[in-house]
Amino acid sequence: MSNAVVDREVDSKKESRANEIKRLERREGWKRRLPILPALLFTIVVTQIPFLFTLFYSLTDWRIDKLEPRQFIGIDNYTSLTEESEKFFREAAWVSVQMTVMAVLFSLIVGTMLAILLDRKFFGQGFIRTLLITPFLVMPVVAGLMWKTQMLNFNFGIINWILNGLGQESVEFATRYPMGSVIVVLVWQWSPFMMLIVLAGLQGQDPSVLEAARVDGASTFGIFRQITFPQLRPFLELGTLLGAIYLIQVYDHIEVIVGGQPGANNLPFYIAQRSIGGGNRFGLASTYSIIVVIASIIIANIGLRVLSNLLEDDS
Amino acid sequence: MAEVRYEKASRIYGFGGVGAVRAVNELDLNIADGELLVLVGPSGSGKSTALRMLAGLETVNEGSIFIDDVDVTLKPPQDRDIAMVFQNYALYPSMTVGENMGFALKQAKVPKAERRAQVEEAARILDLEPYLDRKPKNLSGGQRQRVAMGRAIVRSPQVFLMDEPLSNLDAKLRVQTRTELADLQARLGTTMVYVTHDQVEAMTMGHRVAVLDHGELQQVDTPRRLYSSPANLFVAGFIGSPAMNLIETDRTGDELHFGSTVVPLSDDVQADLKASASTRFVVGVRPEHLIQTPDGAPCGATVVEELGSDAFVHASMPHNGTEATVVVRVDGETAITRGDNLTIAIGGPVHIFDAESGVRLGKPVT
Repeated sequence: MSNAVVDREVDSKKESRANEIKRLERREGWKRRLPILPALLFTIVVTQIPFLFTLFYSLTDWRIDKLEPRQFIGIDNYTSLTEESEKFFREAAWVSVQMTVMAVLFSLIVGTMLAILLDRKFFGQGFIRTLLITPFLVMPVVAGLMWKTQMLNFNFGIINWILNGLGQESVEFATRYPMGSVIVVLVWQWSPFMMLIVLAGLQGQDPSVLEAARVDGASTFGIFRQITFPQLRPFLELGTLLGAIYLIQVYDHIEVIVGGQPGANNLPFYIAQRSIGGGNRFGLASTYSIIVVIASIIIANIGLRVLSNLLEDDS
Repeated sequence: MAEVRYEKASRIYGFGGVGAVRAVNELDLNIADGELLVLVGPSGSGKSTALRMLAGLETVNEGSIFIDDVDVTLKPPQDRDIAMVFQNYALYPSMTVGENMGFALKQAKVPKAERRAQVEEAARILDLEPYLDRKPKNLSGGQRQRVAMGRAIVRSPQVFLMDEPLSNLDAKLRVQTRTELADLQARLGTTMVYVTHDQVEAMTMGHRVAVLDHGELQQVDTPRRLYSSPANLFVAGFIGSPAMNLIETDRTGDELHFGSTVVPLSDDVQADLKASASTRFVVGVRPEHLIQTPDGAPCGATVVEELGSDAFVHASMPHNGTEATVVVRVDGETAITRGDNLTIAIGGPVHIFDAESGVRLGKPVT
């Protein structure tokens, strides 16, 4: 009988010990979670709540230039996107796709080439690297203005001056090639970003691996294609993803360089035009935004997967 | 298979004149067909640089290098028909083991089927068959080392170049792989140049060993002769473990002293000593050539290292007015402990070097 009492005492001691351990573990968990909480709340307040509002607006007919109150109209805004009246939206979407793909692709190519040139020791390397990074540090509006006035201008732009020097006629770039002009500026501004990312990849390479490839008889181009490029893959993917996220939102360059003429209006620009830019169709513009967010997520996922597969086959 | 010849080959860093460093200075070296030659030296001795010059990864600023009487001095690495194993193995991270091993053949445009056969053959020799489809990052250190070896032997090159291939392995595996590597080289009969900083590795593997220091070739000879007849003070101190006792001493007429005893000198050493104008010399005796004898130099044991079969006694010996530390090998059964007094004398070959120039006196021991 006394044995049973002792056993019970031992059991209860064990139990309280287990509880104590559980309590300590829980406290440990909170110690880890608590510091993240403010950031989490802040993120929810500034991104998720506005997104929910946008979602709600997209289900309404809301114009601030009319006296009628905001009206709930269900998914009418969404269904109207396929109608003839919304062909400008579809055009803007197509412009966005072209502009983003081309700007990301060309800035990746230019950035990779610059990174390869920089990835060797030479006198003044640090200075040249800093110079090459500067376009990325310029404000988008300033970059747009610089290119519009100093480079592309019909009368006194540098490019036309060179063309004239070569005996060619001046070209009104921003009017004749609106999208091309914007893409050139975007590539100029984003190549340094890609360059930095690729440079990090190149410098992370083991030099003896490249030496081994040389001893094994690979040519310089062969080494790049078979050894360096596969190793750069994660860096190229990162550059593509980040570049696409930023470049799909481009607004300033378009506003400054082409200022709303057809051919270079992407979705952000068109959404602004239709809402705060004078269109006043806030419900409809919210619908566009929702579509853009959903499409971006889908395209980014597909894009990343396609890119990985392409490179996988190559290596 | 081929012979290799360095002719006054130098690697100079910097822009000539002031500040230029001769990492390898006028290296003259003949490596016979099928020989395993080890380049050994402390870090900064130029041993790796000498190997990389042969690989074509370092410019040869002066002199030339021949592989099988073909001057390869100006040829790029890919035209030299050599295979190299790097210290960190330098495996291609994005390729499988099989692709790694077949890479050189792919570059040489060998048809796929043949390539595969050769890779499988090499994998069989090295027990790598189960791993052919793995990526290097999923292999252990020893397996990676074997893949690096496999990549070299698949090509059947004229010369194997090994740049400290075992130094990233743990001690036990290193000793085991050392034997396998020497055996593999013997079976393939391919000339091999092997760089290491480990003199034990050099002595156990090399048919001949070339000792380098500060970019200069100190001596090249068989391990046996390097040990028994070091050409200078550096080689004497570098080869052997524990190291040779090197005791600096002033000459007393034509006599040299070791503690309180007179060093027994052979006739040729005696003759060189008479002819020499130097006053300071270094007496070199290996620990196993010091014997305990009642009329020897008195000294006191400070540390005793028990190795089982032997024991090494570190002893402090009054010499030339100061205390010199000597290491004596004694039988493992002898009970000598710290603080014991012993009397020792030279009971075997003795090596005399000029303290200033480091040059050996007398004829080399044959």
